Amino acid sequence: MKKLLNTLRHPSAKYSLLTLLAVGFFSGIFFWGGFNTAMEATNSLEFCTSCHEMRDNVYQEYKQTIHYTNRTGVRAVCSDCHVPRDWGHKMMRKIQASQEIYGKIMGTIDTPEKFEAKRLELAEHEWARMKASDSRECRNCHSFEGMNTEKQKLRGAKMHKIAQDDKKTCIDCHKGIAHKKPKGMKEDDDE
Amino acid sequence: MKKTSLSLAIVGALLAFGSQLAQAAPDWNKIPKRELQVFHAGVTPIEWITKKSDHSGRTGLVKGESCVGCHEEKGGLNFDMKRLAAKELEPVGAPKTMNFPVAVQAAYDKDNAYIRLTFKAPTGGANNADKDNEVKVAVMFANDKVAAAAGDKSVPGDQVGCWATCHIDVRTMPGADDKKTKYTKDGAYELMQWKSSKGAKAVDGSVSDKRNMDGGNAGVKAEGTKAGEIYTVTFTRKLAGALAEGKAVPFGVAVHADHATGRFHHVSMGYKLGFGAEGDIKAVKQ
Repeated sequence: MKKLLNTLRHPSAKYSLLTLLAVGFFSGIFFWGGFNTAMEATNSLEFCTSCHEMRDNVYQEYKQTIHYTNRTGVRAVCSDCHVPRDWGHKMMRKIQASQEIYGKIMGTIDTPEKFEAKRLELAEHEWARMKASDSRECRNCHSFEGMNTEKQKLRGAKMHKIAQDDKKTCIDCHKGIAHKKPKGMKEDDDE
Repeated sequence: MKKTSLSLAIVGALLAFGSQLAQAAPDWNKIPKRELQVFHAGVTPIEWITKKSDHSGRTGLVKGESCVGCHEEKGGLNFDMKRLAAKELEPVGAPKTMNFPVAVQAAYDKDNAYIRLTFKAPTGGANNADKDNEVKVAVMFANDKVAAAAGDKSVPGDQVGCWATCHIDVRTMPGADDKKTKYTKDGAYELMQWKSSKGAKAVDGSVSDKRNMDGGNAGVKAEGTKAGEIYTVTFTRKLAGALAEGKAVPFGVAVHADHATGRFHHVSMGYKLGFGAEGDIKAVKQ
């Protein structure tokens, strides 16, 4: 071990700089690719629903919604809404999400009753994150510019007009779009 | 001889009065029909309507939008009827028919307003507690003071139809006192109702701090007939109180079908009935 550390600390007299750079470059690609592949794997629907906490609760609710099944077959999976796409925000979110491992070990939401008791708190965290990012993940697919309000139901068209005038963000109105709304929600003071 | 002349004079006067009455009653074939939808509203009282986490349309409401302005579309309703019928909003059970059309005709003269409602009453309701009446039909008119609170905002009655009387703590709402009737917090409604049971008197009442099934001053008369499956109910009442020429009066319709009671009715949203004024429905002057 000591020998390995010593070797790493001193310049190499045995290998050319080109060899070291080439090995470093290709190893970098290999490890970076591996890291990214592993991180992307944690973005899959299968990964998210591999824990019963997600599979038995929020996943069942989401399966009843338009983001799971719809006329055109475009599906938004968990990570499309809950994990940012750009690398920086994604890394931050992943690091933050690592605390869920602690929750898993401690069984924080391992029964439907415990999940219900925590639902409001968990939802509030996510709503706050979405509000702070101006509903960034919604806007990966949706935009006011791309909306044809004439093709919307009247109630939607009118509300979207108000939302644009008042500079609202998606999550201001669309709470509970993919999961049940929690009981005891605080009322927004936003008119 | 004198007696005969007097009798003839009385008969003549009665005939003249009778013909005047006959003239006053509108020729319904000439009065246009406006169809509006009545629907089973489940447990969506005014507290639900004005709570943003339940009904995001509250935002539109406090900005001056009416229920009809957002929810009546292409002659129908754009509600999510499945949501209205689901356990969360209808814990007792939804009727088989969630909504149906009612054709409304209206006319008026200097003394009276005439309103005719024509509809096919559905069966398959979840509440059949009224053993006496298969069908009841009510119309309510809001006065100018009706308002509904939405947080620290106040929504005028003409935007919310009859919902200003519909509260979470009134009878037949889940867990509510069986004796508490609908009520308003601000203003009042004039209420008229026809009941299908034989000999039932037309209701000439009101809703203020409670519902009053009599004591109204509108001189309400109601006639109802059933031909095949079609009900035709005609109300005659004074053009007074909340109703006046030159005014568009907020009103709503409720049909209790299939022996329903309390909140298990099909209701319309709030419309305006114009008496010589613009409205969703314009009463035809006689």
